[in-house]
Amino acid sequence: MANDDVQKTLADLSRDLQESKARLEEAQRVAHFGHWEWDLETDVVVWSDETYRIFGFSPQERPMDLATVRAMVHAEDRERLYQGVDEDLLAGVRPAAEFRIVRPSGEVRTVYSLTSDRWSSSPGDAKRDASGRPYKLFGTIQDITERKRTEEALKQSYFYLSEGQRLGHMGSWAFNDSGHYWSEELYRIYGLDPKNGAPTVEQYLALIHPQDRASMAETIKRMQEEQRGFDQIERIIRPDGQLRYVRAVAVPVVEQAVFKGFVGTTMDITEHQLLTEELRRERAYLSEAQSLTHIGSWATNFYTKRVFHLSDETFRLHGFDPRNGPIPLERFFDTIHPEDRPAVSAALENAIHARADYDIREFRVCYPEGTIRFLRTIGHHNRSGELGEYVGITMDVTERKQAEQEREKLRQLEADLAHINRVNMMGELAATLAHEIKQPIAASITSANACLRWLAHDPPDLDRARAAAVRIEQDGNRAADVIDRLRSFYKKGTPPEPGIVDLKEIIREMTALLRKETVRHSIKIRSDLNEDMPNVLADRVQLQQVFMNLMLNAIEAMKDTGGKLTITSRRTPSGQLIVSIEDTGVGLPAGDTERIFDAFHSTKPQGTGMGLAITRSIVEAHGGRVWATANQEAGATFHFTLPARTEADA
Amino acid sequence: MKSTAVSTVFIIDDDRGMRQAIHDLVESVGLRAESFATGEEFLGTKHIGRPSCLVLDVRLPQMSGLDFQRRLAEGGLRIPIIFVTAHGDIPMSVKALKSGAVEFLTKPFRDQDLLDAIQQALEWDGIAQKEQAEVADLQKRHQALTLREREVMTLVVSGMLNKQIASEIGASEATVKVHRGNVMHKMQASSVVDLVRMADKLKLSPVK
Repeated sequence: MANDDVQKTLADLSRDLQESKARLEEAQRVAHFGHWEWDLETDVVVWSDETYRIFGFSPQERPMDLATVRAMVHAEDRERLYQGVDEDLLAGVRPAAEFRIVRPSGEVRTVYSLTSDRWSSSPGDAKRDASGRPYKLFGTIQDITERKRTEEALKQSYFYLSEGQRLGHMGSWAFNDSGHYWSEELYRIYGLDPKNGAPTVEQYLALIHPQDRASMAETIKRMQEEQRGFDQIERIIRPDGQLRYVRAVAVPVVEQAVFKGFVGTTMDITEHQLLTEELRRERAYLSEAQSLTHIGSWATNFYTKRVFHLSDETFRLHGFDPRNGPIPLERFFDTIHPEDRPAVSAALENAIHARADYDIREFRVCYPEGTIRFLRTIGHHNRSGELGEYVGITMDVTERKQAEQEREKLRQLEADLAHINRVNMMGELAATLAHEIKQPIAASITSANACLRWLAHDPPDLDRARAAAVRIEQDGNRAADVIDRLRSFYKKGTPPEPGIVDLKEIIREMTALLRKETVRHSIKIRSDLNEDMPNVLADRVQLQQVFMNLMLNAIEAMKDTGGKLTITSRRTPSGQLIVSIEDTGVGLPAGDTERIFDAFHSTKPQGTGMGLAITRSIVEAHGGRVWATANQEAGATFHFTLPARTEADA
Repeated sequence: MKSTAVSTVFIIDDDRGMRQAIHDLVESVGLRAESFATGEEFLGTKHIGRPSCLVLDVRLPQMSGLDFQRRLAEGGLRIPIIFVTAHGDIPMSVKALKSGAVEFLTKPFRDQDLLDAIQQALEWDGIAQKEQAEVADLQKRHQALTLREREVMTLVVSGMLNKQIASEIGASEATVKVHRGNVMHKMQASSVVDLVRMADKLKLSPVK
């Protein structure tokens, strides 16, 4: 064998060795795995390149000794590490330890080290001292910081998951070929002991509320047979008897088109469910209450037309069936009676622009079948909200409205009756008076006839004629007496009882009293009174009667056409007060206008002919005068004067 | 007026002045007048045998004149009535006239109108009274007939011949002739026509 060959072989071997070593080092570098040798006799530590790197050095940067290594072990782990290693070595066990080191840069790394005294090919060669401790140790060291971190993170996330499940009352489970897994929280939800393991399907079904059991059994069956997931709420009864609501969700796991089983979650929703039920109940109560009272609630933005809330009753109030689903805001407006729509729109728009509340007290809506209802709607501007955002209520005021109309009708009837009574009474009075006056007049006429006949006798029977003449006188006086009684009748037999009277107040009273009449006949009353109109000294009741008569007269004159009733007052230079009552009615009868003040002179079919006569009697009793003038355009004006006697004269 | 010198005008009016005036007016034309304030007072007096009439105020305190008119008719007291009233209307006057009133006058009335109405009423009452007296006389005569004679009279006025009457009552024709002669004599009838008129006034019901 040539030396060259040997040389070559050696060179080859050396190269191979070099390559092997390089590969080893590369492998160690990739795996963060290093090795070391420790000669206990010489206390020399030999590190592989990767060991240097693990400890934060450059490969072979400096020689290592034990003290340096020891110093680099994390102080908290140091004692445990060395004690453990010693114990293991003495016990003949290969020491394995996980500990932290501190790199020169201060970075902490976690490493795993395995120590062996059998580093050579023949394990028995380990040199030991008298106590059996080896003189030479070999070991590996692996940087497991990343793995450790991952583990920590996993542990942490498991903790979080489990804690999350516990807090959320949500358990999870998996069901596959390798078995049946239940999370801790799931056990807690069902009130089971994790030590007994996950329940079988039969055990599980036994926990379900009897009323839900059949449906759950069916669900599980379908899940197994059809590999279908589910999501359902069921009631369970825990072993301790507590009833809980749970929502169970199962999802099939399919990996690359292969069914692998199920995963799922189960959540305890008892509180949520009870709350939901309570809410639902309260909603039902509210809805019922709204339905009973015909009050609907709503919240909307009129500007954007967005609807936030519309109670069922709101639908019904507008003639919609809430079961038919949502309806655009415009369609609610469309139900408003065409005559009322402009007013409602205007009120709404004003309120929206003023960002103000509103109360539309009455408007009509038309239902499809033709019914008309009266509604009232109140809106509160949502101040914190957008322009046009309102929350409010709408209520049905039809009954109230009808009641009001009924009342109004009744009031009208009363007023009519009062009027008829008045007319009847006056008519009765007039008839009675007419009869009473006619009797003596007829009697005196007849007596006069008889008297003439006695005188025509031949010879004339003067005694009988005289007797007849006496009766004529008596009957004449009798007629005069009746007329006196008539006068005293409408003076109520008592002279005026003067007091300080505020004419403005009387006019106000009479206007209010006659409002029904004026509204009915579309008559407007306007009073244009002298500001400094003095109070007068008069009989209040009689003055009321004067105003009542003259105003009724004016209304009567305008009742077919409507019109305007104007009351004015002024003072004459002589200090008299003139009150004028002007109408735009049919005007005065042709002829002598003075006659209209005569008793029983009536131009109206149902008139008594007494109103103006009484008026004149009262005014004259107060020292005043009453007259009528025809208006230039239409109607008549009645004037009366009252001496302006003020408080000073009282 | 002489023929009715004994006639009486009754006046019922609650108004004393009116009552006295009418009373005086009636007397001024030579008639007898009796006046009363109420209908009750009038019913309490006797007033038969001579033509009379009643001047009645429609409006009486207790009972209206129209009601009083009806009451008189129901009581069989036939007396012509002249209504006077202070405020009569058309329906009221129609009602009164339909019920047999002679006249309906409104106060004050023309004296001649009342006196004319009174004259008319008294004439009617005179005729009615004569009629009544005649019927009473006939009734007296009819009462004097025997049952057989009354039977024969009824058959005679119904137009039967003696032969028919004989077969009807089962007697001989000669017997019928005797009865018939008695009837004519007792009833003071001058002819069969006269007898028929009497039967009519007596309201004798014809034979079946």
